[in-house]
Amino acid sequence: MPDWKAEIRVLLAGLRLAPTRENTIVEELAQHLDELYDELMSNGKPPREAQQQTLAELSDGEWLPRELQRIERQPKPEPLVLGTTGRSNMIADLWQDLRFGARMLRKQPGFTLIAVLTLALGIGANTAIFSLANALLLRSLPVPQPEQLVTIGRGEGLGEPLSYPDFAALRERNEVLSGLAASHFAGVSFGNGSRSEMLRGELVSSDYFDVLGVRPLLGRGFAPEEERSPQTVVILSHALWQSRFSSDTSIVGKTITLHRQAYMVIGVAPAGFNGMTEMFRTDLWLPLRMLPQAHPMFRDSLANRHDQIFAAIGRLKSEVSLTQAQTALEAINRQLELAEPPPAARQRDPNEDRSLKLDHPQGVNLPHFRRRIQMATALLFVVVGIVLLIACANVANLLLARSTVRRKEIAVRLALGASRWRLLRQLLTESALLGLLGAGAGLLLALWLNRVLMMLKPPLPESWGLRLDLQLDANVLGFTLLLALAVSLLFGLLPALAASKPDVVQALKDETGVQGRRGFFRRFHLRNVLVVGQLAVSLVLLITAGLFIRSLQQMQRVDPGFQTENRLALSFNLEQEGYDESRGREFSRQLLERARALPGVQAAELTNFLPLGFMALAEPITFEGRPTPPASELTYAASQIVGAEYFRTLGTPLVRGRAFTPQDTANAPAVAIINETLARRFYPNVDPLGQRVRIGNPASNPPPREIIGIVKDTAIRSIGEEPALVTYRPLAQQPSSFQTLVVHAAGNPKALLPALRREVQMLDENLPVQEIKTVEEIVAFSFWPMRMGAGLVGAFGLLGLLLASVGLYGVMSYAVAARTREIGVRMALGADAKDVLALIVKHGLTLSLLGVSLGVLLALAATRLLQRLLFGIVASDPVTFISVALLLTIIALVACWIPARRATKVDPMIALRHD
Amino acid sequence: MLDRELKKGSAELLILSLVETRARHGYEISKMIEVRSGGTLKFNVASLYPLLYRLEKRGWIEGHWLEKVGQKRRRCYKLTKEGRKILKAQRTTWQSFVAAINQITGLDNA
Repeated sequence: MPDWKAEIRVLLAGLRLAPTRENTIVEELAQHLDELYDELMSNGKPPREAQQQTLAELSDGEWLPRELQRIERQPKPEPLVLGTTGRSNMIADLWQDLRFGARMLRKQPGFTLIAVLTLALGIGANTAIFSLANALLLRSLPVPQPEQLVTIGRGEGLGEPLSYPDFAALRERNEVLSGLAASHFAGVSFGNGSRSEMLRGELVSSDYFDVLGVRPLLGRGFAPEEERSPQTVVILSHALWQSRFSSDTSIVGKTITLHRQAYMVIGVAPAGFNGMTEMFRTDLWLPLRMLPQAHPMFRDSLANRHDQIFAAIGRLKSEVSLTQAQTALEAINRQLELAEPPPAARQRDPNEDRSLKLDHPQGVNLPHFRRRIQMATALLFVVVGIVLLIACANVANLLLARSTVRRKEIAVRLALGASRWRLLRQLLTESALLGLLGAGAGLLLALWLNRVLMMLKPPLPESWGLRLDLQLDANVLGFTLLLALAVSLLFGLLPALAASKPDVVQALKDETGVQGRRGFFRRFHLRNVLVVGQLAVSLVLLITAGLFIRSLQQMQRVDPGFQTENRLALSFNLEQEGYDESRGREFSRQLLERARALPGVQAAELTNFLPLGFMALAEPITFEGRPTPPASELTYAASQIVGAEYFRTLGTPLVRGRAFTPQDTANAPAVAIINETLARRFYPNVDPLGQRVRIGNPASNPPPREIIGIVKDTAIRSIGEEPALVTYRPLAQQPSSFQTLVVHAAGNPKALLPALRREVQMLDENLPVQEIKTVEEIVAFSFWPMRMGAGLVGAFGLLGLLLASVGLYGVMSYAVAARTREIGVRMALGADAKDVLALIVKHGLTLSLLGVSLGVLLALAATRLLQRLLFGIVASDPVTFISVALLLTIIALVACWIPARRATKVDPMIALRHD
Repeated sequence: MLDRELKKGSAELLILSLVETRARHGYEISKMIEVRSGGTLKFNVASLYPLLYRLEKRGWIEGHWLEKVGQKRRRCYKLTKEGRKILKAQRTTWQSFVAAINQITGLDNA
């Protein structure tokens, strides 16, 4: 067939078309002429004639070049992109990179899926922990302009900062706040008869709602006269109004019964408003003038400058800064302190810091809790941060493996003149896409993790209304987005740098490029470094988890000093329900009688509080025959007031002397029992039995009591604490308004609940039982922080281990694939399967042992910081270190073994043909 | 054969119609025009390809190299979305033009 192309090229010569364009045109026209020629020939035309006729198609004057010139010369308009002028621009490039990146990820769905899932695990865990930190530490109150609000703390931040007179003075004299409000928590019994229940109220100053900027949904806020004189008015929370009053829109003006008094509802708070505290539910608000009714023990507190029982929240004037306000308020505080310094009896420590501290309320605004939460969340962040690092290392490894596959593509682009920066941008855009996909999947995971975290909240009684509301709000979403981008840079940069700098010539010649580096370099290849690092940090995680688990075990082995099985506790507050002393005594006597008569009850007794509960009374103790120390040096001891059967009911052994008996009445000689620690510390050389002590503030002249018995030490605040000093007094000689009934059941103590409730209601149908728990539940609460530590760190540690072993497995598989030819040669030269297995396992084992040793060193350094959180073991606990290191080594061996087994199956003939 | 300029005016319509239902390569297009017009209309290489390239440049048709086993690759053209709109418009214009000519020349009544 004649060569049409030459003819066509002659015609096009003058056009100076781009070479690729000219080639396309030449090919297409030549194709057309070929077909025409073939057709003419098959119609029987002689070759010469056919050729002439075909060429005639082209030689139609100068038409073809002229027309083509017109068309091809028209410049193709550049796509215009907003905000740019130049031909090459970042945004158009970015768009191109994104589309290209998306295409590359779609082309390798397996790689993409694994990378996205790995990142989702890491990012999801971090997002969940961040939403926890957000809820507990960062979130502001859901009120207008929360950034203007300030809370006032005092000194170390324990307890409430202000007394009512202080608050009133600060409110009146300051010029930096547009308003200042006070509040005090109050448990309030609500309703009548069998449906009475405990609600959570806040006693607040009259301008409380104004300062917070909240307008009641119905009715009004408190009026100033309601702070001046006692008025039985109440504002309901939205949730309470919905659940107990079926959203009755005519509720305002009606009366409800609170601690047996009629209160008029004057308003309903808007939905979502929970008062000053984020941590606990608030059901209703009362004027703070109702303090004596709500809290009989504080009946004189409103007039006392030293009863610091109020939390305070203020709103800054618009031009005032936090520091200015702090200085101004502290100046007033100092005047108040000078005018009326606290009496010696009130002063625990003369050097106590009593200055005021202002802060913006965020999350849990109780400084004491905040510090603990900060510590716990910091620990969790370190843990999930490590998980994320391991996940990043895995993805970086995947990218490295892939970049060897893409080496040729990249080399071609470099050879064609792409700049390294441009390539880097392309590769990083791909990483960012992966990171964002991972973040998307991670958010779904975080939604689920948040639900799990919310279920893990401390097992406090329902009546405490603990709130933990984890949301993926704007803060959290912003965090996740930033994290995704930061993480993409983290896992993407090294592989991108490595990939964009290949030896172009080498890469174009060599198909896969993995043969390029040998010996020393291969051993210290980036991939290996990453795996060693992964193993090391996952070991740190596992050791941390192991230390928590061992601590928990140690804690559970501790004898609390009493029996926990089959015991139930019910608490109630008689004074708050209007009982006087004699009615209270009668109630207790009858309740005990009825409880003991119930079938299945082995023993029952009353106490003012139960060890490990949430309240503990501590009182000064003074010893007869020894000088009374000044107030600041008094010895305080936990002070239990118990019935005669208490020790038998709870199973606390008597060490010496006798227990209380029904004969220890108010008219009998005053007696006391002490625990072993108190006996040992204060009577080292004397027999304490028969000695006399006074329990209570010496200023109030408590009666001397004879020590009649010594009981075994019991835990008071937490399991495993240093044994506390404890005194016991008989209930008959020392009435207590707050009482807990302890019941020792023959079987499951919960089965007794309905009967016990019935008995309480038969005695007083309006008495709400505040709290019912088994003693086992109470003790379990003491384990909660350690259990959480062990559980969460353990779960994340296992996740880290899983990711790290997948990483090791991946690297070993890759190494086996890369060394297939070498293995083939070795086997062809006589190596058997055992040698090959040893070769690969040795490589893996070297990496694992390096990782484990590095991890042990890291863990030794890191876990020392944890010592304060551990119990009963040292931070370098050898049992934990050795068992975790062994566990990790075994898992690492398995991860190497599988690819090594595969290597032994290599057929030398196939291997030698392998690229 | 019709005058070249006249042909060029209507040629766009012809090509667009031919690639309306499926993609076709240049030789196929030229053959179809010749066969369907009974030999009255004939495009040679020099006139056909500039037309195709122009239509492609305007974005009315789109060319792709198509490979089939055992054959040389061919460049095939298919109608774009834009081209479909243009074809619709040109058809209407052409029909009214033909109708007008027929009315004037009385060919309709014949």
